[in-house]
Amino acid sequence: MKKLTRILSPLLIAFLVLGSLPVAAAAPQSASPLVSTQDAMQADQVRSDRERINALLARQDVQEQLLAQGVDPADVEARVAALSDEEVSQMADHLDDLPAGASVVGALVLIFVILLVTDILGLTNVFPFTR
Amino acid sequence: MTNQVTTRLSANARYAGVLLLILLMSAMAGCATGPHLAGPAEMGVPERVRLDDVPFHSQRDYQCGPASLAMVLNASGVDVDVDTLIPQVFLPNREGSVQPEMLATVRRYGRIGFVIDGSFESLFTELAAGNPVVVMQNLSLPAWPLWHYAVAIGYDLDEEVMTVHSGMEAARLESFKRFDSTWARSGYWAFVALPPGKLPASIDSEQAMDAIAAFEHANDAHAALPAWQATVKRWPEFAMGWFALGNARHADGNPNGAVEAFREATKQRPDLAVAWLNLGLTLEGLDKLDEARHALQQAAELPGRWQDDARGALARLGPTAL
Repeated sequence: MKKLTRILSPLLIAFLVLGSLPVAAAAPQSASPLVSTQDAMQADQVRSDRERINALLARQDVQEQLLAQGVDPADVEARVAALSDEEVSQMADHLDDLPAGASVVGALVLIFVILLVTDILGLTNVFPFTR
Repeated sequence: MTNQVTTRLSANARYAGVLLLILLMSAMAGCATGPHLAGPAEMGVPERVRLDDVPFHSQRDYQCGPASLAMVLNASGVDVDVDTLIPQVFLPNREGSVQPEMLATVRRYGRIGFVIDGSFESLFTELAAGNPVVVMQNLSLPAWPLWHYAVAIGYDLDEEVMTVHSGMEAARLESFKRFDSTWARSGYWAFVALPPGKLPASIDSEQAMDAIAAFEHANDAHAALPAWQATVKRWPEFAMGWFALGNARHADGNPNGAVEAFREATKQRPDLAVAWLNLGLTLEGLDKLDEARHALQQAAELPGRWQDDARGALARLGPTAL
C-alpha cells in the first residue's frame, strides 16, 4: 500500500503541475490588454492613478448620496453602475444643484400672482387654466 | 423748504415708477416674442409631424421622469412600465429625477440616450425622423423652478404649436412661444433614446462617441458593436470611431476585424498613437509578430501618453527575427 502511494503521489503531483502549466504559458499573451475606448478618450486629460482612485471613490460617494435621497438599497448599485464616469463626477459634486424634474410648486400668494401673470403672457406654464 | 423737497422727491418717485413699469413691460414683451425660425424648406423638415404611435403614460405625483422614460422606451420597442422605472430613476427625497440618471436608465434597457443640441431645428429634425424627444422644461420662473420632463411627439410650423405628452395630458398642444420659454430655462436640454445602430440626425461625431462609450461601459462590447458600425458609416473619416469599433470587435472575439478597424483608424489619423498601439497588440495576439513590431514602432515614435506602453510591448517582442 505504501509502495503504491509512493508511486502515485509523484504522479499526482506531476499531473497537477502539468495541468496548471498551460494556464501559466497562456498568461503572457493576455498580459497586455488593449487600451480601452474610455481610457483613450480620457487620455487628453492625462488621467493619473490618483484620478482613477478618485473616480472609484466618486462612485461610492454617489451610492451613499442616493441612499441618503431615499433610494432603496437594493436598487442603488445597479443605478450607479449605469452612470458613465463623467456623470458620476457630476452627481458626486453637484447632486443638490442638479434640477430634478418633478412638477410641484410652493403655493405662496405673491408667487402665485406673478406666475399667473407670466403664465398669461405665455412665459411660463404652471396653471393649466391659463391656456 | 422741507415741503418743497418732499414734493420734488415724490414727483421724481412717480417718474421713476412709470419708467420702471415701461422698462419692465418692454422687457417682458421682448421675452414674449416666440422663437425665430427658418422656413421648413431651409430646415429640410415637413410642415407638420405627429408621431401617433408614441404611447402616453400619465404621471403620478412627481413622476414625470419615469413616465417620460416609459414613453420613449416603449416607442423604441422596449416593454417596460412606469412602476418598474420609478425605483430605477426617481429620487424620493428630491421628489424628482436628475438628468444623468435619466440617460443612465435608458442604457439599462439596451437603448442609447443621445443628448441633442438644443434647437428647434434639431427637435424638428428628430421628430421628422420618427424619434420622440424627451425635453426638460422649467414650467415656472428661474427663481421658483418647476422642473418637468415631457415628451415632444410632433409640431406644426403653420400653427406654431408643439404636440407634447406632458404630465397628465396626452398630445397637448403648446405654442412655440410658451414651449420655447419653458425649454430655454433648462438650457434647451433634450435627448432621444435609440437602439444601437441608429444615430440621431442632429448630432456630431464627438457627441455620438460620448453617448455610445457610456452605453458600452454600462453594457458590453457586443451590444455596442452596431452603434460603432453606424458611427464609422456616418463619419468614415472619424479615426476615434474606427478605434472604438476595433476595440469592440476585439472584445467580441473578432481580432481580425479589429485589425482592420485599427488600420483604418491609423489611415485616417497617422498620429493616433493609441490606435497604432492597439493594432500592434492585436497583431501580437494573432502571432503576426513582424507586423506587430511595425505598428508598435509607430506608436513608440509618437510622443504622448502611450509611448511607454508601446516601448514596453516592443521590448517584450524582442528584436526582429532574422
